[in-house]
Amino acid sequence: MSDTSTAITPADVGVFTRDQVEMLTARKLETDWLREQRMRAHAVFADTPMPSTRLEDWRYTDIKKLLRLDAFSFAEERVPVGDAEGLLAGLRARVDEAGEASARLAQVDASVVLRELPDDLAAQGVIFTSLEAAAREHPELVQKHFGTAVTPDDGKFAALSSAFWTGGAFLYVPKDVQVEVPFRVYRWIGEGGTAALGRLLVVAEAGARVAVVEELGSDDLGKAALSVGAAEIFADDSAVVVYTQVQRYGRGVVHLATDRLVAGRDAKITTLYTSVGADVSRADVQCRLVAPGSHVDMLGLYIADGTQHFDNQTLQDHVAPHASSNLLFKGALNDTGRSVFRGLIRVHPKAQRTDAYQTNRNLILSDGARADSLPNLEIQADDVRCSHAATVGQLDEEEVFYLLSRGIPKPQAVRLVVFGFFGEVLEQLPLEGVRQELLRVVERKLAPSL
Amino acid sequence: MAEPLLKITNLHAEIAEDGTEILKGVDLQLNAGEIHAIMGPNGSGKSTLSKVISGHPAYEVTDGDILLRGESVLDMQPDERARAGVFLAFQYPVEIPGVSVANLMRTALNAKRGEEVDIFDFQEELEGRMAMLEMDPAFAQRSVNDGFSGGEKKRNEILQLAMLEPTLAVMDETDSGLDIDALKIVTAGINKIKAERQDMAVLLITHYQRMLNYITPDRVHVMVDGRIIRSGGAELALELEERGYDWVREEVSA
Repeated sequence: MSDTSTAITPADVGVFTRDQVEMLTARKLETDWLREQRMRAHAVFADTPMPSTRLEDWRYTDIKKLLRLDAFSFAEERVPVGDAEGLLAGLRARVDEAGEASARLAQVDASVVLRELPDDLAAQGVIFTSLEAAAREHPELVQKHFGTAVTPDDGKFAALSSAFWTGGAFLYVPKDVQVEVPFRVYRWIGEGGTAALGRLLVVAEAGARVAVVEELGSDDLGKAALSVGAAEIFADDSAVVVYTQVQRYGRGVVHLATDRLVAGRDAKITTLYTSVGADVSRADVQCRLVAPGSHVDMLGLYIADGTQHFDNQTLQDHVAPHASSNLLFKGALNDTGRSVFRGLIRVHPKAQRTDAYQTNRNLILSDGARADSLPNLEIQADDVRCSHAATVGQLDEEEVFYLLSRGIPKPQAVRLVVFGFFGEVLEQLPLEGVRQELLRVVERKLAPSL
Repeated sequence: MAEPLLKITNLHAEIAEDGTEILKGVDLQLNAGEIHAIMGPNGSGKSTLSKVISGHPAYEVTDGDILLRGESVLDMQPDERARAGVFLAFQYPVEIPGVSVANLMRTALNAKRGEEVDIFDFQEELEGRMAMLEMDPAFAQRSVNDGFSGGEKKRNEILQLAMLEPTLAVMDETDSGLDIDALKIVTAGINKIKAERQDMAVLLITHYQRMLNYITPDRVHVMVDGRIIRSGGAELALELEERGYDWVREEVSA
């Protein structure tokens, strides 16, 4: 909690230069290992052009038009607060409305400002701290995992994250330690015109059980802001990990996430990406099933209105045999909202006996809305069961009429049907309390737009 | 004499999409508290009549009128008609995944009363009504009609009828798809609701007479080819059961 030092003036940064990386790493007194990682990442970042729509995975998201990197200054460092009461009002409201937490960590702009970890968890060997602190205090643990799942080669923004991340959250759960109540990570952008680059690393050792809810938020910002994220999540043998990302940024934010999850032998990972905020939000999420018996559930829920643009790129990467994965992403698009879903199930030659399914469903609620759905299979093994399904459709008139016939006014009837549409996603989240919170997020999002 | 609760005059309606005329001049009058049955062969337009009364958007009224307590409902949206007291029990209740029975009922009651119902009163009432219909309380948390058996769906319709307390209940082939035990429970439920609420009028739409063994109508109407061609007392249903619809058809055309 002592990450205070001279703030960097916006003029120094903004353009994400190599000098900037040098300054950052020097100021944070980072080890050579981390410094080299950053420099390597920056080299890739500098060499990689902004993705154009000629690239298949950026075809429907014209990021060159939506984002000018030189428009942002680096998010500022913030001083730690003693407890949740000291947080910015908007962030504090989010913390207050959330249900129970095993422990909490909050990053505002460039810095982790709050970290709470009960003694009993610490006594069991659980580590929950800023990634910056973890790199200093637990270098072996961090070096073993950090940058191995998300690499600079994962794209322009993964490279950007790897070069410029600050703050960050690190969660380590030792072997056989099981924590039922979720850990809460908050990432808050306090100021428009800035770029905030948080980061997440979760390591669940064999037999561990852990849930992480990461909430991304800001007020509605007058100016554009950039959020670049990267999460690396490792579930070792028989570990059970649930990761929920709730993207509730205010308008003005462009959010770009590159997340990689790795499931070991008999491990089980569940992810849920909820996108309701920001102007542009893209999650590039890949799950690798690297050992037999692993299972991954990938869930997604997005509701776009106004001119919001959401993009989900998913990969169910079956490296090992006898593993299974199931993906369900559902979205509703209103006004001139847009969504892109591009999902791939990849089955490597050795991954026999794979079970992998992928479903993306979209509800178009107005004439100006649009959803592009591109499911795909790439199967190199012969003994597998795989399927994919994608739909883009309108509301079912008979469902709406049924509710109308019960005296429910049309806007409410539509809201109920849409709400029900997302139920199938939420009911698969194995965290009852968080499910209820997300139902309220969905309700609140639908209330003004329909 | 008091204003009839429901008065339908020379009602013509067609399928909005292709202009096929289904109702070809229906006249019907129902007083508060009365039970009427509309019987008719398949394709006679009796189910369409129930949907047109509720304002289903697939149908367009081209002539005539539907008056509820003297006021035309034709310019009212389906939800407005419902709040004015019309309830339609669906022949094929629609499945709404992710919306629980309790959520639907609470939302509907809030809309009807114009204020938030007390959650404890609501729970108590819902549980009481479910017990009356011999429904498992767990039903309240299940998605509306999703994965329900035929009998469960129909019971769920009666549950909603009991909760929403309409002045006019239109029951569209509520007996279809029910075995005899389910039919007894459903009709007993309707009779109990009716006993509690004497002024509620019921329009039973049915193909078969068997439902009328359990619910005694004040009047029976026979609908053929989009018109009501004959009306009579409860005994008309028995006669139809015995002699079939061709008999009325012939008699009318003779």
